[in-house]
Amino acid sequence: MSGTTKIKAKLKDGIVEVKALATHPMLSYQEAERAKKEVNFITYVVAKVKDKIVYEASTSQFLSKDPYMKFSFKGGAVGDTIELTWKDLKGNTDVSTEVIK
Amino acid sequence: MMNRRNFLSFGVTAVAIAVIPVNLSAIDFRETLPKAWTATKVDDAIKEIFGTATFTEGSINLSAPDIAENGAVIPVSFDTTLNATKIAVFQDANPESAVAVFTIPENAVIDYAIRIKLAKTGTVTVVAEANGKLYAVSKLVKVTIGGCGG
Repeated sequence: MSGTTKIKAKLKDGIVEVKALATHPMLSYQEAERAKKEVNFITYVVAKVKDKIVYEASTSQFLSKDPYMKFSFKGGAVGDTIELTWKDLKGNTDVSTEVIK
Repeated sequence: MMNRRNFLSFGVTAVAIAVIPVNLSAIDFRETLPKAWTATKVDDAIKEIFGTATFTEGSINLSAPDIAENGAVIPVSFDTTLNATKIAVFQDANPESAVAVFTIPENAVIDYAIRIKLAKTGTVTVVAEANGKLYAVSKLVKVTIGGCGG
């Protein structure tokens, strides 16, 4: 729970559905120029349960601010911890965890 | 002699890389496919990511609004029963066309949603690679207020 991503993970009919809301300004090159801020956006997201990757995405500057991601996978159990990590253009990382309910 | 040794070792290295299973090493396409993120045209980006731009239409359910009032937050979701290993989302309204590339792990259920920005009205395309073939589906999203800050 040390990261900034809000995660909801629910098991239903053998499938775990995860809704995650990351906190990130996600400034594209154009927006950063206009706001006179440094461009920065999440470039990579990976979610793991028991060290097995259940979701992996390489992302661009075109995801909305505070990116919302929904994904599903099989093989998770109630009580398992899901760990979601993202990396951004500047090299910052954020690791957040949540328990599957 | 030198040439042959170098050539042989290159061959061995190439094979070793090909054999590494996808699940063991996390794949960050920003690092492995840098050109994919600067490609302007959708077809070019597809070629960078999948190696080809030849695809069959269909087999993926793509949902995106017909009209997006706020171009900065456009919900895009897709699901498929294809045995896909890689799925990528593109659009043709922004300076570069690649939006996201998903590596599908073996225990995934492909039912994904994200929210994207579109600078203006454009077509969102989702391409999935399954069993060596590409499948694609597109949807036109009309944008009333551009999503890149203007």
